[in-house]
Amino acid sequence: MNGETTLGRFDTQTALVGAGTGAEMTLVLTVVMTVAAAVIFVAVMGVAWWAWRRETNVRPWWVWTGGVVVPVITLALLVVGSSLTLAAIGEVDEEPAVIEVTGHQYWWDVIHDPRDRSLRDANEIVLPVDQPVTLRLKSEDVIHSFWVPSISGKMDMIPGRTNALTVTATRIGRFRGQCAEFCGLSHPLMAFEVVVVSTENYAAYLDGLETEARDADTLQRTRGRDVFIEAGCPACHAIRGVAEGARIGPDLTRVGGRASLGAGMWAMNVGNLAGWIADVQDMKPGAQMPSYNHLSGPDLRAVAHYLESLK
Amino acid sequence: MPDGAEHRTFGKAGLGLVTVGALAATASVVAWSLASPSNDPVGAMVSRVGAGWERLTQWYAGNPVADRPNWSAMQVKLLDAQSDRGPDAMVRYGCGACHVIPGVAGARGTVGPSLAGFADRAYIAGILTNAPGNLQRWLIDPPLFAPDTAMPDMSVTEADAADMAAYLLSLTGAP
Ligand code: HEC
Ligand code: HEC
Ligand SMILES: [Cu+2]
Repeated sequence: MNGETTLGRFDTQTALVGAGTGAEMTLVLTVVMTVAAAVIFVAVMGVAWWAWRRETNVRPWWVWTGGVVVPVITLALLVVGSSLTLAAIGEVDEEPAVIEVTGHQYWWDVIHDPRDRSLRDANEIVLPVDQPVTLRLKSEDVIHSFWVPSISGKMDMIPGRTNALTVTATRIGRFRGQCAEFCGLSHPLMAFEVVVVSTENYAAYLDGLETEARDADTLQRTRGRDVFIEAGCPACHAIRGVAEGARIGPDLTRVGGRASLGAGMWAMNVGNLAGWIADVQDMKPGAQMPSYNHLSGPDLRAVAHYLESLK
Repeated sequence: MPDGAEHRTFGKAGLGLVTVGALAATASVVAWSLASPSNDPVGAMVSRVGAGWERLTQWYAGNPVADRPNWSAMQVKLLDAQSDRGPDAMVRYGCGACHVIPGVAGARGTVGPSLAGFADRAYIAGILTNAPGNLQRWLIDPPLFAPDTAMPDMSVTEADAADMAAYLLSLTGAP
């Protein structure tokens, strides 16, 4: 087999190469604990071997030290260490920016600055580098779990609740995230991408989320926009300036500008877009969108080309 | 005389007359053009056709419009196309969303026909004969050949089309 795997578009996801304070601190903690556990294991085995060879008598102080005092001290150290680390992960010097992420079967709704500007996007979360961000995590249907291993630990998204996860990304780049709680038929196909950019680029990105979608500037794209409306897509999808309000499916205002289609799963291009629209149920079984295999060939091509041009 | 013999006789005479007439006409046209070079219908026709041909070849040679594929160069390129680069290109263009393609990750689509055993197919989409150059052209602009098709023009480059065509033409066996 060649090309992409079931992991989708973006790299393998790993917690062993940190790109966020949370993941980096957790990594240190993991290494320290693993090494300590290995040392203790070797020491215990050594003592056991020694006891077995020497046929020594039972010595109560050994039992008390090795069985009670040392474990209590060790466990206390572990508890204090990991609690301090956990506390430090959430601790930030500046007022964090806020991004609201809502899990849906099987995609992610994203709202930047929900209190003030309320800027919507989907399936791609853009973060400013070296700046704390509080993710307000919600769910629209069942329990999902938000996890970007390179950046931070995971946090459940629970219907009717808002969980907060504060992260600071430390490296510019693209990182894969994944829903980490079984949520239905296409749970394995519910990924997303985190794009970490410079502070200036983040500001520019936010401004871009305020503008209307790009104009349809060719005959085919104009036809595609008409097909989008005639076929009833605005019942579920919003495109700013064309059709607003719907929230059942991802916002498509800049869908062609995402690196991936279908929540982090396929390359964004005309071929995959056309295939998705014609037969989404085949690509992502159980997705809350019907397959549009009744569109004529030219209409299918037109709407795919139109969406691809929305960057 | 047996029945119908006079018809045959008249038929032979007619043919003879036509032949003689045609020879005479040709001879007189040639004689006329030899006699007065200033009034030369045959020569004029020949040179007009020649000029037209010249203009056509010049147009063709000088006119690979910016983004119009250069077919003859493509035929050559297909020779050094690499079929093992095909699957990667197909993943990049998203062919698998619509086609089942053996050896291409995730290519399970049922929007279009399965491409298994494609080397044995006689026609491409029932329209073009299944030759390397034709397959490459189809991949670059399917609606050019099948205006109502659902397969989109995906801005496939000539080199990628060559690699994908080479790969598809390596797929033999039962579909
Ligand atoms: C019943 C609601 C509904 C309708 C109608 C609908 N969609 Fe969707 N669409 C969805 C949902 C839900 C998703 C997210 C699916 C997923 O990833 O699980 C989606 C996803 C998409 C995506 C992928 C977005 C991304 O960021 O990856 C595209 C493109 C799309 N739809 C296009 C269309 C077009 C074009 C039409 C009309 C022909 C349409 N949709 C009609 C609900 C709908
Ligand atoms: C939106 C869906 C779609 C996408 C994407 C797509 N195709 Fe197709 N393809 C079709 C359809 C539908 C047909 C049948 C076309 C027809 O008969 O007009 C077809 C026909 C073909 C054929 C001819 C098959 C035959 O049996 O004669 C080939 C070869 C082919 N496609 C290759 C590709 C390659 C390679 C790609 C990626 C670069 C691709 N297709 C992308 C839908 C698609
Ligand atoms: Cu899930």
